[in-house]
Amino acid sequence: MNFDPPPSIATLSRFRKIGIIGVPPLEVIRGANEHGLLIHDLDEPLVREDLEAASPFLPRVYCAILRTAVVNALHLELDAIYADTGPGKCDCALHTATILAEALPIPVIRTRNMDSVAFGTPLCQARLPLIERMLAITAGVKSAAPYQNQPPPCAPTAGFWGVPPRDFSILGLFPETTHLYGWARCMENKTPADHDLEARFNPEVPTVFFAQSFCAKTALARYLAKKHPHALYLDVDVHTTSSARAKVQAFLELSGVKS
Amino acid sequence: MILGDFGTSYCKFLDLDAPGGGEPTIIATRELPRETRVKLATGHLGKRFADRYVNELIALARGGEALIREDDYVLLDCGSRDIKFIKYQKGKLADMGWNAECGASMGFTIELLERYYELDYTQLRVPEQTFSVTCGVLGMSDIFDTVISGVEVAEAVARFVKGIALNAYRFAGSPARLYLSGGLCDNPLFVGSFPCQVMPLGRFVLLRGLEAEAHQPIPPPHA
Repeated sequence: MNFDPPPSIATLSRFRKIGIIGVPPLEVIRGANEHGLLIHDLDEPLVREDLEAASPFLPRVYCAILRTAVVNALHLELDAIYADTGPGKCDCALHTATILAEALPIPVIRTRNMDSVAFGTPLCQARLPLIERMLAITAGVKSAAPYQNQPPPCAPTAGFWGVPPRDFSILGLFPETTHLYGWARCMENKTPADHDLEARFNPEVPTVFFAQSFCAKTALARYLAKKHPHALYLDVDVHTTSSARAKVQAFLELSGVKS
Repeated sequence: MILGDFGTSYCKFLDLDAPGGGEPTIIATRELPRETRVKLATGHLGKRFADRYVNELIALARGGEALIREDDYVLLDCGSRDIKFIKYQKGKLADMGWNAECGASMGFTIELLERYYELDYTQLRVPEQTFSVTCGVLGMSDIFDTVISGVEVAEAVARFVKGIALNAYRFAGSPARLYLSGGLCDNPLFVGSFPCQVMPLGRFVLLRGLEAEAHQPIPPPHA
């Protein structure tokens, strides 16, 4: 598999506004920061457009995050896209990058993030609203700066394992003392390809193992949920359904987790 | 205190202040007066009619805890619109599921077929064959195709009902023994179609769960 060579500082200096898919290597983010580029995280819903706008390019039954990335890429006026397509993301992103490269008149640069320097995971273990922490973690991919003012860790009462969901509303059901695990933790640590870190969980606390529907991580989420002594496996597509909300709510309440 | 289980096709009520604790009552949802109010509710229409709402999985689990005197069991609720189950091991929650999409409209479709074809499920035997049914709506096509091929309507519907039972059984994790909740407990064809021991608990399990919740202090809202 061929990956595009790392961008030089000179290459980045040609751009003003870039989009990222997944977590590109720190070298890219650092260069973008140094040149004062505006970075859009295309994995998040950024434009008010129907996901159907992605259907000419991706099947309807496909990862909602990548469909979102395509819709963003089509509607934001970007100078370039850096899509991580290595082991820190997925094959679906690789194919999406191939399709976008042909559909868009801008460079779509594929990266392979193998960063292994741990930045730490303070937000994953802090006592703060889960939505607030997940927003901070996802916003963190746009900066190469070390973490400042790290919040202290708390004792966990519940766990959320998985990726940042496309619809964050499900995170509002969890208590502030929920610890984060899985790829979200790898994101904060800036080591998205660290599969050992991704697979870790705390067997002492009831944990929801979450994955986006139609994502390869559904297999890992379900596998780990079976290994965990007190777990709920959950996959959600575009929006959190009422039954998904009810499952999480019931799981936490019946497991004795206090909100 | 009046408790209400507001289901898609039927609403069930229990008045805890009635003499002797009261007997549950039931009315068709389409006949429900709009001004109905209860203290505590469950069911997918429940939020409209109640001061406090308990989600259906919690109501099912609490109902199971109240009615089943075992530490290890699987309790499956088959409603008009969805299917859901709770699994307990050593007295603790071990697994759960709620299928409102792919399990959609199974109970509703069974009742619809009985009326449309003027069938009596107490008179139908469990068939040898079955359909691979994952959804009430999609399963209808199998019935029509089978009837066109020359099979009796009653036999085709029975295969459909058995397919629904098998789908619900697999959804619940294929247990050797299953406690069953919901109106389909009164359908002998459906109950007999499960390939395991079935313990029907009737259609008021969620109300019993609400009764248990009513005796608990009101929880604070979720974060």
